[in-house]
Amino acid sequence: MSQRRHPSDPALLEAAARLANLPLSRERAAQLVPAMDGVFQMLDALDQGALGETAPAFAFRARWEA
Amino acid sequence: MSDALQLSLREVAGALRERKLSPVELTRMSLERIAADEPKLNAFVRVTADRAMAAARQAEREILAGQWRGELHGVPVAVKDLYDMAGLPTTCSSKVRHDHVAAVDSACVARLEQAGAVIVGKTHTHEFAYGIVTPTTGNPWNTAHIPGGSSGGSGATVAARGCFMAMGTDTGGSIRIPAAVCGTVGLKPTYGRVSRFGIASLSWSLDHAGPLTRTVGDAAVTLAALAGYDSRDPGSADMPVGDYLAELDLGVKGLRIGVPRNYFFDHIDPEVERDVRDAIARLKAEGAEIVDVEIPMADRIMSVEFGLCMPEASAYHQAMLRQRRDLYEEDVRTFLETGEMIPATDYIAALRLRTQMQAAWKRMFDGLDAVIGPAVPSPATRRDQLAVKWPDGTEEPVAPLFIRLSAPANVIGLPSIAVPCGFTASGLPTSFQAIGRPFHEARIMRIARAYERTADWSSRAPKL
Repeated sequence: MSQRRHPSDPALLEAAARLANLPLSRERAAQLVPAMDGVFQMLDALDQGALGETAPAFAFRARWEA
Repeated sequence: MSDALQLSLREVAGALRERKLSPVELTRMSLERIAADEPKLNAFVRVTADRAMAAARQAEREILAGQWRGELHGVPVAVKDLYDMAGLPTTCSSKVRHDHVAAVDSACVARLEQAGAVIVGKTHTHEFAYGIVTPTTGNPWNTAHIPGGSSGGSGATVAARGCFMAMGTDTGGSIRIPAAVCGTVGLKPTYGRVSRFGIASLSWSLDHAGPLTRTVGDAAVTLAALAGYDSRDPGSADMPVGDYLAELDLGVKGLRIGVPRNYFFDHIDPEVERDVRDAIARLKAEGAEIVDVEIPMADRIMSVEFGLCMPEASAYHQAMLRQRRDLYEEDVRTFLETGEMIPATDYIAALRLRTQMQAAWKRMFDGLDAVIGPAVPSPATRRDQLAVKWPDGTEEPVAPLFIRLSAPANVIGLPSIAVPCGFTASGLPTSFQAIGRPFHEARIMRIARAYERTADWSSRAPKL
């Protein structure tokens, strides 16, 4: 499934930031491009193996405590 | 007792118990040492001299009255400035939190003070624990080098004999990295073993609290005071607390230790590798069985570490980033803004991969007591150094470099202890780590102690 993501377009980052409700100027978006490319290169490795029915490693307890 | 600051925590505890040394005298010595070293180290955000002297006087009264509380009683210690102390600011070494004053004590501060420890101050962290440099602070072995991070102030002051123990937090290695590059012991307990209530979070699913000390025994004493279930921390484990001193000196004869043939020795400084291999040889000579192991899914450890840490950190900072973005340091602001744009499905994929990794590590650990490798790939880098160049020509930025060997124990939640194992030709410390089975802190401390008995690096002090 994996296809490398390269969010190296400042306009794309600016749009993503708007969706996250994070004010980000075009200039600031351009500054973040190298960091974003590095992060997504790392995150793309998450797709390398089949996750199948694997459940996430959440921690949640339904027990009520004082 | 003019050289009391050179003693280990356990040694000084013996002197206090036998009334050969007064907690008031010892605390005064600690505060004087800190004051003398601060112009060079800048390890502390705040020195709590008045509170410390009051605690020392109380400890003195109690010990003289025969009410000795244990080995932390009357001993000067410090906490990273992520830990809440009621009535004091918790700045996280950030301008963003300059006006944040804690209402109640963190669980660890409360437990340390219940044990009679004297808290002399709050140590510097890389801003909000989001980094490994701790730019405010110098390494006591060479102040032109980093003390590691994020618990850099804790590593620096413990190594420099400012106090006998300092608390750190560890999300990707932030106890073990400063311990390794400052030449102290650093213990990251199992996830959930020590309550994080009242500690500013970096990443809820990866954060751990634990001590930096000069010896393994000192770490064991501290963990005994800290360990236990706390319903106020959603990650806290409702598991029995072991006796961390009972097997400390039993040696390693008959124990089975795995040495990774992949990942842990890739791109390692030759002097670090030399000292870690020597430590493994010493453990073998002491009777441990050494076996090769293959680290599973090694190529995705950093993806899971960052896939969990970055979105969680950005969520924690979501409001503050919008209100005070200009007060963040540039590196942390970049991490936080970047983390906002990671899709939730990537975060969930990291959580699912974590489940698979945990199962794979359980299989790898079959029949093993511990896995041993370098704590960090490199000695402390220079404060102005951005990357390390390896012999094959590749350059590695310092942040992922220092995190990549400590991150596995955060991702899998296993206990891990960093142990000094030598010095480079330029006088910088080297360190190995022993990673154990869940809640088997006693076993990795036994292994660390067995090594420590063969090579006493803790008696060597930096000259500032």
